[in-house]
Amino acid sequence: MSDADTGANAIKLRRKAKGKRPSYFSDPDVDRLLSMIMALTGELSVTRDRLDTLERVAASKGLFSSDDIESFALNQEALDARAQRHETLFREVNRVIASALEDLEAAPSEEYRAVVDLVENDDAV
Amino acid sequence: MTASFVEQQHHDALPTTNHDELARQHFVRSFKEYLVAAVHPGLKTAYEKRAKPNFVAKHQREPENIADVGEVMRDDPHYQAWSSLLRTSQEMMWSCTQLPVERTIHELAASAQEQSQTHGSLRLDPELVIPPYHTGVDIHCQPGGYHTEYIPSDVAQGAIYDRAVYLYAMGQMGGDNADMGDSTVAWLKQEYPAFKPSKILDMGCAVGHSTLPYASGFPEAEVHAIDVAAPMVRHAHARANAKSLDVHFAQQNAESTDYADESFDLVVSHILLHETSSKAIKNIIKECHRVLKPGGWMLHVETPPYEGMSPFDTFLFDWDSENNNEPFWRKSHSLDLDELAKLGGFQRHSPIQVMVPSAFQEAQRTMTFQGGDFGGGGVWFVYGCQK
Repeated sequence: MSDADTGANAIKLRRKAKGKRPSYFSDPDVDRLLSMIMALTGELSVTRDRLDTLERVAASKGLFSSDDIESFALNQEALDARAQRHETLFREVNRVIASALEDLEAAPSEEYRAVVDLVENDDAV
Repeated sequence: MTASFVEQQHHDALPTTNHDELARQHFVRSFKEYLVAAVHPGLKTAYEKRAKPNFVAKHQREPENIADVGEVMRDDPHYQAWSSLLRTSQEMMWSCTQLPVERTIHELAASAQEQSQTHGSLRLDPELVIPPYHTGVDIHCQPGGYHTEYIPSDVAQGAIYDRAVYLYAMGQMGGDNADMGDSTVAWLKQEYPAFKPSKILDMGCAVGHSTLPYASGFPEAEVHAIDVAAPMVRHAHARANAKSLDVHFAQQNAESTDYADESFDLVVSHILLHETSSKAIKNIIKECHRVLKPGGWMLHVETPPYEGMSPFDTFLFDWDSENNNEPFWRKSHSLDLDELAKLGGFQRHSPIQVMVPSAFQEAQRTMTFQGGDFGGGGVWFVYGCQK
């Protein structure tokens, strides 16, 4: 494996093809979002492939096999830890939805512009 | 699409990839296969059950051409999703092939020079003007097109293209991406067993993936190959050396080359014509005629013309023209090719237009021509003429 050409002199290739990017949905943001979802799916696949490699290397070195993973029994501590992690994951992913609800439940907050006015002009005599 | 996974044949000019870079490339290949096998077939259903009835209700007639089909398909949710995903897959294909090249760009340039010592030759022309049909937009969305150079002796665009062609065709052109050349050579030998070319020219050769079959198929012949882009011919020369084949590469425009009149027995091109222009395609046919010896053959391998296809099939096959930066795709698939040959000087013999079966039979194909399924037809369209 070669060394990366990194640092200040690293060459950056052009990443956007010359020419207008077409959009297909009535809102171009949907096209952009779909593109991001596929990129994320790609990165998930890369991670999954890395795990697969890990299992295969481990098996070839006699450390553990994929069967060991399939037959692994979760004890109570593991079950609890995972459930906790899932909850955190959902809370993080759905943060924007929860925040909106929090806003709705809280006392009406001041308009953002009003706060800007306040902090900019609170020295007025 | 559960044919066994044929990986690209390794050669020393290919960029090295780390674990995750390779996994990213394999994902893109699988993504493209999924679109072909699982999303594309739904387009026919969407058209028959939703879009076409909408058109008929509005116009009291059946859709007759690309514009008619497009009018209703552009609003169809399944077409929108498929197009958006296909465009995304194309962009991801370039991105995942760029990453390892960007990381090793200096090393690739140095090793290409080192590897290019023993076989064939390379002539560059720094003064060559890159034609406007290559600089207008980046063809098939490769950022920087064929010609952009980032460093001296750069091979980046060629190294990226070499790997991307494999992903683009999903392995349907074999481990060497050689199917267009292999198929044409096999067809030539079968149809014209007495034809023994001693000098061959491949126009618009890119990385020489279609050129090498002529070098191995006609080992007694002197093989030349040209492309307007320096990074392509540099990489092509290193690639040919890696495969120990003698090809003389030169950076030249196929519209006007520096080869002598009547110097070749065979002039070929592979998916070149649809990446040119109305003016350039005429110049190229004329140039083929000029450099061919009397009795020599010109053969251009392409995807088939639209003529005879249903409006729906034509619409899908036409997808690249507006969605994949292929500005000459539509017009080039609707040209009067017989007239084109005559204009170029081929008047003694009638031009041929034949479907040549793919030499790479291991692939499981859809056997259709459609956007996003290059090589899926299982045949190549060959247009040519004897001088």
